[in-house]
Amino acid sequence: MAYLRMRGITKMYPENNVLANAEVDFEVRRNEIHALVGENGAGKSTLMKILYGLERPDRGGIELEGRPVHIGSPLEAGRLGIGMVHQHFRLIPDFTIAENVVLGVEPVRRGLFLDREKAQASVRAVIQEYGFSIDPSLRVRELTVGQMQVVEIIKILYRRAQLLILDEPTSVLTAQQIQKLFLTLRHLRDIGKTVIIITHKLGEVKEISERVTVMRAGRVVAVRDTAEVDERELSRLMVGKAASLQVRREPAARGRAVLELRQVCLLGRGQDHPLLDRVDLTVHAGELVGVAGVGGNGLAELEDVVSGLRRVSSGRILHDGQEITRLDARELRRRGLAYVPADRLHRGSSLTSSVMENMIIASHHRFLRGGVLRRRQAEGFASRLAERFSIEGDPRVPIGTLSGGNIQKVILARELASRTDFILFSEPTWGLDVASSEFIYERIMEIRGQGLAILLLSSNLDEILSLADTLVVMYRGRVVARLANSGAVSKELVGEYMLGLKEDRP
Amino acid sequence: MKRWSRWRELLAGTAGLSVTLGLSFLIAVALILLLSKQPLATIRWFFIGPFTNKYYLGNMLNTAVPLVFTGLGIAVAFKSSVFNLGGEGQVYSGALVTTVICLALPAANGYGGGLASLAGAMACGAVLAGLSGLLKMKWGTDELISTFLISSAVGFIVNYFITGPLDDPANNLLASYAIAPQYFLAGIFPPSRLNVSAGFAVLAAAAVFFLLNYTHTGYEMRMCGLNREFSRYGGINVSAYVVLPLVLSGALHGLAGGLAVLGTQHMAVKDFSFGMGWNGIAVSLIAKNNPLAVVPAAVFFAWLEAGAKAAMLHSDVTFEIAAIVQSVIFYLVTAQALYGALRRRKVRL
Repeated sequence: MAYLRMRGITKMYPENNVLANAEVDFEVRRNEIHALVGENGAGKSTLMKILYGLERPDRGGIELEGRPVHIGSPLEAGRLGIGMVHQHFRLIPDFTIAENVVLGVEPVRRGLFLDREKAQASVRAVIQEYGFSIDPSLRVRELTVGQMQVVEIIKILYRRAQLLILDEPTSVLTAQQIQKLFLTLRHLRDIGKTVIIITHKLGEVKEISERVTVMRAGRVVAVRDTAEVDERELSRLMVGKAASLQVRREPAARGRAVLELRQVCLLGRGQDHPLLDRVDLTVHAGELVGVAGVGGNGLAELEDVVSGLRRVSSGRILHDGQEITRLDARELRRRGLAYVPADRLHRGSSLTSSVMENMIIASHHRFLRGGVLRRRQAEGFASRLAERFSIEGDPRVPIGTLSGGNIQKVILARELASRTDFILFSEPTWGLDVASSEFIYERIMEIRGQGLAILLLSSNLDEILSLADTLVVMYRGRVVARLANSGAVSKELVGEYMLGLKEDRP
Repeated sequence: MKRWSRWRELLAGTAGLSVTLGLSFLIAVALILLLSKQPLATIRWFFIGPFTNKYYLGNMLNTAVPLVFTGLGIAVAFKSSVFNLGGEGQVYSGALVTTVICLALPAANGYGGGLASLAGAMACGAVLAGLSGLLKMKWGTDELISTFLISSAVGFIVNYFITGPLDDPANNLLASYAIAPQYFLAGIFPPSRLNVSAGFAVLAAAAVFFLLNYTHTGYEMRMCGLNREFSRYGGINVSAYVVLPLVLSGALHGLAGGLAVLGTQHMAVKDFSFGMGWNGIAVSLIAKNNPLAVVPAAVFFAWLEAGAKAAMLHSDVTFEIAAIVQSVIFYLVTAQALYGALRRRKVRL
């Protein structure tokens, strides 16, 4: 008998026309550790946000212990015994563990004052009850990442949660910390709690969960007893069959090496594992190099490093054979770097500025006369670009009023307008509808034909497989595979590299 | 059609402000009815008093002049999303520098000396505020704190000079020697103290408006103000736009102090500029950081001040009551402006 049952959950994000959850049925039994797996954007987080009351479904219902429930807010979820540990901790560093735990449900003295002793005593009681060993009077600032996570778990246990949701709890932990977390989770299961763990690390699924639900593109594609599936099958379920993207890729002549990364390393602050680990990468003129990887494996860092927004810790970056390792974004712009960022709403555009002002950010020097910006010329330039890229709307309106697809087109138009020999794309079609995606693929293929060197970072495998000439896979900050995309490369194979099941030692 | 929606938006913004204004006036009237024995006279002097004769009218407008400059100084900084809470010290020290230069130069050359003294005031404000910008650029020191701290410290230094080496024992005031009459700015509305600096204020508002909206520097400043990440990505030298807006802001504040000396005070009086810096923030908030709107906002502010003074002189209200009535209107209007600004920020997050 199911403890939690979500029925026919459908959720559409109208801003970008994405169906995040489509008729999702999801069941969890009492007293089990249930893994929810899927690629980025498969709809796991949306489903859990709905369960936790952060999002409302368009359709569908939730039953808890056989009774239909309405969960309109995290507060209501808490009352029903549902607690969530977010991927990014929500703790106040200058508060003690006890203060963080009781925040929002503080014991008070004389109706007004925080009763510190009582807070500490009650938190200590919870810590003992569940067999943790941590001193509640410590400040969160002094804790390790693993301990912070324990605090988050204590926080929801303090609120008497029966169902614990953990969103990618292992992404920031070291191997030992992960083992400790798993011990905790097993203990919680043994004393009667139910746990849902979101992850895309298949080894962990096998290790910790009893059952697993696999999501892909907003749908549940499989529910299995973990003992009955192996990692390879899970990987195949997650990535699915290659979708037929209609992109014509003409063979292109490969020219000189335009961009080279040599042994590039990037160390994170306070992390023992490098974010980028001796990455070697070369992009030639007329070549599209596609870098695939699951989120958190170095793609975002690679984007920052190549775009000059983050300095490498060691290694070299060359452009046309010249050293550009220490150049910042401004100097790279002057050399003609074009770059379509993954974060298009904050980095790629200024939402409250007009389309025109967004279009000239990298080229406004061209519209100057004696320090004065020639508005008419700039607007003419913006209108011409808008027309060429069929962007709807007046160039004078704030870009934030456009649809997601049109915003991306503005960014693309701007970046392609700068005369350049190299362009960096990061997640160019993430969250976009099919028509906008196809438009963008066509433009990318067009500039590849013109002999640009293109680096495409994407967690969308179909995209990489249909566009790339050379395919690079990153896992845990390292390049684990480098394949010529001859058409014989299967999605399953790349998926295995992405999920760390396979690795070519260079 | 798009243009129409922009008008509607503007109208909606103004409507909100009008409602707040109406409400705050009602509260003010209610307070006066409650606290004054001759409420009609008080209300009349409070709201219409400043317009009843040339002397009051001119002085009211003259009060608005430094507020235009400080308001512009704040608007420039806010538009670039840096903060300058050091206006007080920048105005005050600007006034001191102007006085010192005028006292030191031979009085024969009125124009050149006057210009030099104003340039000195601007440079002084620019250096004080710019210092905070450099600190932020080099070490990430929060300019919100550093502008305020530097300004507070500078206030004491200025006090030392005014009451110490520059103190004129003859005038029985806590004030410096008076500057030579050659440096005085010409009055334009006698018998009031209104002088040509009012014209400078309007010109300055136009110049700042032009700078922000029509120049390359203004574009880069605004883009940095709206989204620093985007600006960095687009190749703008974002660290320069921590320093430059503060330099401009400080210069405008310094100029406010300098012009007050040449136009109105004719000497550096202890604490004469008290409130000009803070009130500039309020003026800029009411004007929604639009340089052109800073002028009416400053006049509005000056009107409240002049009204309170007139009511005190001509009816039975005490200083405290006048101040309370003035504050009620002022806080409500500022809160309304602040609320809008905060809401806009939230949208951006």
